[in-house]
Amino acid sequence: MYNKTFKDTPNSELQTPNSPKDHRVVITGLGVVSSVGIGKEAFWESCLQGISGIKPIQGFDVSSYRSRLGAQLPKIDFNAFIKPANLRRMDRIGKIVVSAVRLAIDDSGLTLKEEDSGRIGISIGTGLGSSDTVDQFFRSLLKEGPIGAAPLLFQTAVPNAITSHCAIEYGIKGVNITFSHKESSTEMAMTFAYYLLKEGRADVIFAGGGDELSEPLYHVYSMLGALSPGRGKGVEGMKPFDQDRNGIILGEGSGILVFETLEHAKKRGAKIYAEMAGAGLSGSTDGILRYDLKGDSIARAMSLAAGEPQIVDYISAAANSTPHLDRAETHAIKKVFGKRTKEISVSSLKSMIGEFDGSGGVRACGVVLSLYHGMIPPTIGLVHLDSECDLNLVLGQSKKKEIRSALLNSCSNGGSNISLWFRRVEGFHS
Amino acid sequence: MRKRVVITGLGVVSAVGNSLPEFWNSLIEGRDGTKEITVFNPSAYRTKIAAEVSNLDPEAHFSKKEIRRLSRCDQFGLKAFREAWRSARLDRDSHDKERLGVILGAGSGGILSVEKYFRNFYQGMKRASPSLLLSYSLATTTDHIAIESGSEGPRTTTATVCSSSSASIGVAYEMIQVGLADVMVTGGSDSLCEVSFSGFSSLKLIDPESCRPFDKRRQGLVIGEGAGILVLEDLEHALKRKAPIHAELLGYGICADAYHLTAPEPNGEGVERVIRIALSHAGVSPEEVDTINAHGTATPFNDIAETRGIKRIFGERARGIPISGIKSMVGHCLGSAGGIEAVATVKTLETGIIPPTIHYEVPDPLCDLNYTPNHSVKKDVRIALSNSFAFGGNNVCLVFKKFSSE
Repeated sequence: MYNKTFKDTPNSELQTPNSPKDHRVVITGLGVVSSVGIGKEAFWESCLQGISGIKPIQGFDVSSYRSRLGAQLPKIDFNAFIKPANLRRMDRIGKIVVSAVRLAIDDSGLTLKEEDSGRIGISIGTGLGSSDTVDQFFRSLLKEGPIGAAPLLFQTAVPNAITSHCAIEYGIKGVNITFSHKESSTEMAMTFAYYLLKEGRADVIFAGGGDELSEPLYHVYSMLGALSPGRGKGVEGMKPFDQDRNGIILGEGSGILVFETLEHAKKRGAKIYAEMAGAGLSGSTDGILRYDLKGDSIARAMSLAAGEPQIVDYISAAANSTPHLDRAETHAIKKVFGKRTKEISVSSLKSMIGEFDGSGGVRACGVVLSLYHGMIPPTIGLVHLDSECDLNLVLGQSKKKEIRSALLNSCSNGGSNISLWFRRVEGFHS
Repeated sequence: MRKRVVITGLGVVSAVGNSLPEFWNSLIEGRDGTKEITVFNPSAYRTKIAAEVSNLDPEAHFSKKEIRRLSRCDQFGLKAFREAWRSARLDRDSHDKERLGVILGAGSGGILSVEKYFRNFYQGMKRASPSLLLSYSLATTTDHIAIESGSEGPRTTTATVCSSSSASIGVAYEMIQVGLADVMVTGGSDSLCEVSFSGFSSLKLIDPESCRPFDKRRQGLVIGEGAGILVLEDLEHALKRKAPIHAELLGYGICADAYHLTAPEPNGEGVERVIRIALSHAGVSPEEVDTINAHGTATPFNDIAETRGIKRIFGERARGIPISGIKSMVGHCLGSAGGIEAVATVKTLETGIIPPTIHYEVPDPLCDLNYTPNHSVKKDVRIALSNSFAFGGNNVCLVFKKFSSE
């Protein structure tokens, strides 16, 4: 067991002038736009059946790359979520996230008009936000010079435009923030929302985020050598924990969670999916494109997050089919849980939805649904288990299991590791 | 009990000075950093000026190999970080590295490098170097600083552009407050690039002459660049290691206008709200505020909205509060604006000197407050605010206090 486990558990005596209490934070709504389903029902059904969203890339030409797969969203009629007049000012990632927020609002039963808009906030994580819009803007600038610079593209190209679209669309006037830190972007957005609610600085915060799979982004990942099958002779595939894993397959999508103080949720009689009860943040320093090589930093993030490690029954892993991360995370889990490791089920939803910086929102929706339904979606795609990844993996098929609490891990290359701890709320599970 | 968070280190790179003493001297002397752009070819633009950083010789600070991998934004960030780190008297053994975190704000980040890559790529030059793409993520400068400092604590990057580094300071404060860190390196770094320059140009938000906040003749921003880095620290930790203490950060506010993608809410309602949130979080009443470092971008609408917002809170007293708009000297440094302005605000509290808003000649009846025109002012100040607003009405306000051990 990691011996510093409890040293820095966020204190419970925190007080601020406008928040005499240490509030409990619950999840009361989910909005998912994913390659395996739009809306939480479709998404969850696919997860439980182990359906993969990974297919040959459509929409741009990948013939010059060694990779050709991606987990792209199906065609979406955004008119179903957003007023047509407002759709015009949004780019694709904007539409995707605004739609996920719509789904989350509807799922939560919130009537925003009846709320104090200054106490409703939004906290979004995105790795590369409007990468496609930036690319369009830049290409037009290159071609035509300054006249080619299109103001309408520029205003949606900034990374916080996504969050602004949501705030404008739904009249969200409280906290408004955008994080962009590679694969831990959305987990940071949820962490920040969690602490603000805990301190009583808001009633409700929409937290999560997303990313899109654009051509320039595919190009960059490919040039940096991140995409499966990499430079070797292997076969392209997303196979976390497999001995032949050789890189990631990019995905896209958005997941938004309605974070709310327990008090506020109870007052309006909201359905409660789960409680968020801890966050752990740590950093590793192995290199600008490297994950935590040893896993010690990942271990610390988990230890800081899980206030009661003895009731962690499930870990939604960050494992993303790269040679380093899956092993480092395995090591980290063993370090934190010691002999209990074999009792803890582990799966990586990235095997179905692909890897993308803003995947944390979608994966957090998965964790929350696991707690609520007592079901764990599988890791798919694994053929030959890496003997160094000898965890209690849920493979191939979903597993029924009563889960008292679960961790969601995220690890970014460059070294930001964030772990979130969610608990089942008694009396509310199905 | 709530923790007290203090500032123990400061570092700056800016168009008016590449070190804290140089920067601060320039500000109090009212020196303008605007010059002709050299980082890209501006000849096709109507406006050819920016507050560009000059005389920063990369080879004096980085090895050849590092220079190949570090974007201009990374270099500014690392240079300012080193100054802040040294001034805070931190070294690898002065703290628990697991409780040292790094949170920076980003704007366009290392996009200058990415532009170079894609310019070559799209124009058919085959040998665009992939190492230019290391800067594709806004997290890169943050990671470089974290790796250099050996930080193993919380790490992230905020991306609200014009208010990014103020937001990052708020989030860094939070990390100390909730007990995840003792020391946080925060602020931001950003560099000029053609994408943001042409974008602001296309929105007609750039002034072809100079940045003239609150002046009736103002036409918009002068884009700037640089880095402003602060070391935030738990007071107890700072006292224990006898660190120099520059000021205290009492609290922050973040909120949204929810009004328009680029224009501010015209009546200053969002500005008022964010200052109120910040003051209430800081436990400070409006009567106690002695000076305000304005967002003051010099766009026609922003300055009016900010003025109105300030009047909504402070009422009659508003006219008596000296306000400074240092973007008139350092330009609008986008992702690092909040960091650079926070550094200036801390220096104001420490020295009792309020830097001026320069190029202020023609009063605007709609901007009728005391903007500290053209010359710095001496005043004993106890509480200072630093405002930052961004596209989409992303507002941030920081509340600083002159340090006293009581």
